[in-house]
Parts: sequence; C-alpha cells; structure tokens
Amino acid sequence: MGLFGKAARKSPWIYRINAGSCNGCDVELMTTACIPRYDIERLGCQYCGSPRHADIVLVTGPITVGVKEKLLRVYAQVPDPKVVVAVGICPISGGVFRESYAIAGPLDAFVPVDVNIPGCPPRPQAIIEGLALAIEIWAARVDALA
Amino acid sequence: MSDIILRVLLAALVFPGGLFVIVLGLGLKGLERRIVARLQRRIGPPLLQPFYDLAKLMRKDGFVPELAQPGVFLLAPLIGVASMSVAMAMLPIAGVYTPAPVFGDLIVLFYLISLPALALMLAGSASSSPFGAIGFSREMALMLAYEAPILLVIAAVALHVGRGTGAVASFDLAGIVDYQRVHGPFLLEWRLVPALLAYLAFMPANLGIPPFDIPEAETELAEGPLLEYSGASLGLFKLGAAIKTLVIAALGIVLFCPNGPTGALGLLLFVVKCIVVIAGLALFRVTMGRMRIDQAVLFYLKWPVLLGGLALAAVTLRI
Amino acid sequence: MNILKLLLGNLIKGPATDPYPLGEAITPAAYRGRVAIDEATCVGCKMCEHVCAAGAIRFTEDEAGLHFLIWHNSCVTCGLCAVYCPTKAITLTTNWQTSHRQEDKYKQVDHATIPFTNCSCCGVRFLKAQDPLMLLAYKTVGPNEERLRDLCPQCRQVESAKGAKV
Repeated sequence: MGLFGKAARKSPWIYRINAGSCNGCDVELMTTACIPRYDIERLGCQYCGSPRHADIVLVTGPITVGVKEKLLRVYAQVPDPKVVVAVGICPISGGVFRESYAIAGPLDAFVPVDVNIPGCPPRPQAIIEGLALAIEIWAARVDALA
Repeated sequence: MSDIILRVLLAALVFPGGLFVIVLGLGLKGLERRIVARLQRRIGPPLLQPFYDLAKLMRKDGFVPELAQPGVFLLAPLIGVASMSVAMAMLPIAGVYTPAPVFGDLIVLFYLISLPALALMLAGSASSSPFGAIGFSREMALMLAYEAPILLVIAAVALHVGRGTGAVASFDLAGIVDYQRVHGPFLLEWRLVPALLAYLAFMPANLGIPPFDIPEAETELAEGPLLEYSGASLGLFKLGAAIKTLVIAALGIVLFCPNGPTGALGLLLFVVKCIVVIAGLALFRVTMGRMRIDQAVLFYLKWPVLLGGLALAAVTLRI
Repeated sequence: MNILKLLLGNLIKGPATDPYPLGEAITPAAYRGRVAIDEATCVGCKMCEHVCAAGAIRFTEDEAGLHFLIWHNSCVTCGLCAVYCPTKAITLTTNWQTSHRQEDKYKQVDHATIPFTNCSCCGVRFLKAQDPLMLLAYKTVGPNEERLRDLCPQCRQVESAKGAKV
C-alpha cells in the first residue's frame, strides 16, 4: 500500500475544537484558512464540518470545567490515525488563566497531544509552521498503517 | 448474448463509466478547486488533490455510529457511485462512443440521475442524528424543486427531436446526437435557448454548488447528511459527488452541443467542453452565498420552470 | 457586472499569498516574540516577576546566586517585563518560530543566574550593581562610581558620605 500511503499523506483535513477559548486563536485560525494571504489549502489542508472527517484536531482555549466532557466526547469521534495540536498557550499550560478555579487542566492531562504552538495568539505564519510540523507527524502515522 | 454482456460490463466499469469517469471526475474536481482558488487570489491545492483525499479516506477508520442503521448506512454511498457509473456509460460521446441500446434512453437516465440525491437522503436518515434529519428533509425539498425544470427540459428536447424525425417524441440519446449533427447544435436553436437556461439553473442545485448547496451546508448543518460518515464510506460519497458533476456536465453537452471530430481529437474536445462547464460552475461557487431552502424552492418553482415551460411551448406549438 | 470585472482582475493580478513556509515571511520590526534575558545586565530587582501577566517568570535563590527562570509556554508576550525592567535586561525578540513537539514542552525555558558577590569592605553576601543601574543612579560611571560598585549597600552609604574623591 505504498502508493496509497504516499498519496494519503498529502491530504490532512483539519478540525477545530474551541475548549473555552477567548476566540483570539480561533480568529487567527480562521485567518489562516480563509483569507488569500495565508492559504493552507496549498498544503492539502481543508477545514471539515464534522469531527468524523478530521485528521488533525486543533484545540484552542484552556480546558474549562464546563467544556471538558464535551471535548472528550468530540475527541472520541475523530477516527484514527489522528494528530492533536494545541494552538496558543492556553491549552499548553493554561496561559493567563493558569491558577483559575474554572480550568480543569492543560490539554495533555486529557488527550495525547503531539504539537504545541505557543503564542497569544500565535501569528498565522506560526500556526502554519506548527501545522507543517503536525502534517509531518500525520504523514508518518498514515504511512505506517499496514 | 455474451457479447452484449461484455460490452455492457466494459462500458460500465472501464470506459466511459467506472475507471474513466472516476479519473476524469476527480481530475475535473481538482481543476475546479484550483480555478476557485485562483479566482480568489490564492494558490490552491495541487491538481491531484482529490485523488490524495480519496486515498487518505480509504485508510481512515470507518465506524458506524451506535444508533445508526448499519445496513442502509453502508449501502447508501454505493448507490450513488454505481448509478453514476452506469449513467456515464449511457451517455454518447459524439464520434468516440455510442452506448449499447440495451442501456436505455433519456427516461432511464433521468431516473439514474435522481439516485445519488436519494442516496444522500438515505444517508441522512440512517445517521440517526438531528443534523442528518434536517439535511434529509432539505435535500428532499430541493429535489422536488429542481426536478420540475429538468423534466420540462428533457420533454422539450425530446419533442423537438421527435418532430424533426417524424415520431411524436424521441428519447433516444444517440438519436438526439445524430439530429444535432444534421441540424446544428441546440445551443443555437432559438426555441431551445430557454431550455438551456433552465438546465444551467438546474445544475448548481443538483451538484451542491453555492447558491444551492443547502443540504450539505457546513456552517449551518455541520455537513448535514454526511455528518456521521468517516473512512471509506465518506470517500465513496465524495467520489460519487465528483462523478455526478461529470455526468451532469456530460448530459448538458449531449443535450445541447455534442458534436465534434471522431477519435482521440473528439475525446479531447469532449474533455475541453467539460472543463468549460466546470469553470462556469466555479464562477457560481466563487460569487454567490448560500440561499435559504424556502428561497431556493420558490426560485426553482418560478424561473427555471417558466423557462422550461417556454421552451416546451415553443416546441409544441410548432412556432 | 462588477463582480466579473473583479474576478478578471483577480486572475490577472495573480495570487496574493504569503510565500511562507515555502519562502521567507515578513516580520515587523516591533513584533513581540520570544523573551530573551541578558544575564550580565540583570540586577535581580524581580520587577518582571511582579508584573508578569501569566506567572511565567520565577525567581529562586540558593548559594550560587539568584536564578531567573521563564517558561515560554506560559508567556503571553505581553511585554510588561520589558517595559518595567530598569536595566533592559529582559527584552522581546522578533522570534515567532516557536512551535515544538510535545516532548519538548518543558524544555522551552530560559535560565539565568545572577551570582552573589562578597562586599569588599565587610564581606557580606550581596548582588552587585550592574552598569545600566549605575548609569540610572549616577548618570555616569567614572572612577568615583567604580569604587562604590563592590560595596554592599551599608558600606556604600558610609563611603558615599565621605564625599567624592577627585
């Protein structure tokens, strides 16, 4: 299945989960995807409307207590192989909300994370760089399937 | 007998159905995405991107949700792909391919064209999710709306050809192509120009192109009927959508301007005509936003029906 | 028909896409990127720790000296530390290429040590004043100011009161 694997690595579909974010990182993600200046479709990425179509899951926001269960439910619906990317410093460490009572914890306490993109919010070029790293990991995973 | 069976199988599985329509359909889809990107001043995906998407979807985990009906859930995508493969095998490519008469005529083609929409509706209802149910009902409403003009277009063309050949109406596709070779393409036939406009209006709704891509609206319905699909089934749905684009474009070409040189040059001209149609549809996708379902249904029941009716009247009343 | 003119213009003008990651990206000069600490200029006032919005900066103390630690994964690049640092030891660079894999999450730290010295007069342990701080206080760092540098605050007071030596 070498040819299939080589072809499959060029088509990572991305899906964004907002886990209590202030929307700063979400605005930057939308900027990266929708405006002509930062075109991620040239890397083969495409936003999908359903978690079941996703390959790379982008999570923004500190994981608030209210959203934790829903995040886990949506994460369970993403089929394997998948790559999880934490966008912004909120899912990495909690950011400015680090010691708040409303935060359930950093993202890697709940799901296995693969790539971190720090920044508040990260620049669109920084997001593209992080996505390129995630695509490398995704390519290795999808190619490794028998 | 076995000769006919072999011919039918070859037509449905290799050329022009099956492999040919898959490769050309996905290639045209990649071209459309690239054109849309360039019109928006972006670079756009590589031309082979739909092939990569399909290869990737084949390798993903496909699971059936707990509450869904597994039989219908897994059968629905196959209906779409199979019907469009056979439909392509029924369409003559002037100078290159004439379908075996056993395939059937325009009436059977019209039935086959409505099957992928039915498959989408089955998918929506078998998903047992609220988004799927809404997608199912909207696809049904839209289908009722856009089937009316296409019926009038088909009747107008068939009656026109029939009148010219002495019968009442001629639904045979090869006959329609021959008539146009003798009398000139219907693109230039003034009685059928309203039919051409009605067909152009029908195409976006059938193919899920803005402003009429209502059932699969990503922002409103989170992908509607396809929400619960993943892996190979989703791949088959995307493939079916790409093949359907090619079939509807080819049908438009057969009905309105099929003729050209024979042999390889004829095939090339056919592909170029398909590209022109796809580019026109890309223009729709880039410039228009999505309509609401009630606006779309009212639109179809007004203007395309009127145009189709005009064409039918012009043909019947022997003006 | 304006839209068709617009689309034709788009086709003629070509893509407006930023070439990154297949080319260089433009970084504005005043971009607030990754934090950098200059060990030689820091005087250990801990103002940066006090104003840090996300608690990314920590100071600890041991025998060797004062230890400055910043975890970049908690830094929101607000720039308050750079604004309030009296000697401009902590600055924001324009480096925005900070994405990393999960394994390197806790390696995104910068560490600096400001060593203690002993007073040349009474021998007590203290932090030396660095040049920028001396400049802030005395407006010039000449021979008169040099002799004050190695003295702890109490001895410095005594020595200062004796008057300037010409």
